[in-house]
Amino acid sequence: MRAERGLLRAGEYLLGRACRQLPHDIREERYREWAAELPAILHDRQIGSEPRRAVRMLGYAADTLRGAALVRVRARRPLPHMMIVALCLLLVTGLAVVAWDIRAVAGAPGDPLDYLRLAWGALLVAYPVSMLIRTVSRVSTLIVSGAALVGVAVNLWDVTRVPADWANYFQAALLFLLFLGLWIVSRRARAGQP
Amino acid sequence: MTGPLERVLGAFLADPEAPRYGYDLMRAARLPSGTLYPLLARLEQRRLVASAWETPRQEGERPRKYYRLTGEGIRVARLELAQAFARRQRGPARAGLPARESPR
Repeated sequence: MRAERGLLRAGEYLLGRACRQLPHDIREERYREWAAELPAILHDRQIGSEPRRAVRMLGYAADTLRGAALVRVRARRPLPHMMIVALCLLLVTGLAVVAWDIRAVAGAPGDPLDYLRLAWGALLVAYPVSMLIRTVSRVSTLIVSGAALVGVAVNLWDVTRVPADWANYFQAALLFLLFLGLWIVSRRARAGQP
Repeated sequence: MTGPLERVLGAFLADPEAPRYGYDLMRAARLPSGTLYPLLARLEQRRLVASAWETPRQEGERPRKYYRLTGEGIRVARLELAQAFARRQRGPARAGLPARESPR
């Protein structure tokens, strides 16, 4: 009985995740509709043994999550032309930065700062790619936040090397503010979801 | 018309008046839930399918949402399935293959 309750809760959790992909006004109804099938599948004697029924029920919930995610991706509006151009420019810049950093790493393999710069460049490439292939917005936010944090680290490292150069302090502060802003925005966006 | 849509419409047309719930349609159309539910939502948006909540028959059961083809839905489904069947019949002949004969 406890196992059944646990299975139902696992299924309900997956369906809850699926409903988060849907517009607010239909979430509750869809959840009620989908969740009503969970015990029906779990008690469907036509499926066979209990473990098979459990697998089928979890498969049902997981596939519902897949379907909801696909619908959400298809429903997105296409990117504006200018945005695509800007992302392509950012991609080319990122690739140039990565190529430059690889050259620097190959020239002086012992310098950890070059590896950090290379990671920064890779994140600069990853962001336009994630936007162009339309991954979920949380992934893009995560990439930008990561890039901002690595950028802060790179600039702080430069500060320790050349403490008199105020440009490094300024850049580090700017990137930290960008990270902070993104973090607050994503927290607010998540708080808006039920 | 896509294969999954054809299977859903076929499942509905097996008994056009009977209300069907999601799991029932999944079994009849042999489709996973992630394919079936978005299809049902699209059919409902186009008013080819109507849905209604039905109160559970037994205590402890959860209320279920039932789907049924509308009058227009029945007409469109029959037409679409007939066209799909005709396309399949014409397909092999156009490719230089003999069309499948109907069983005698």
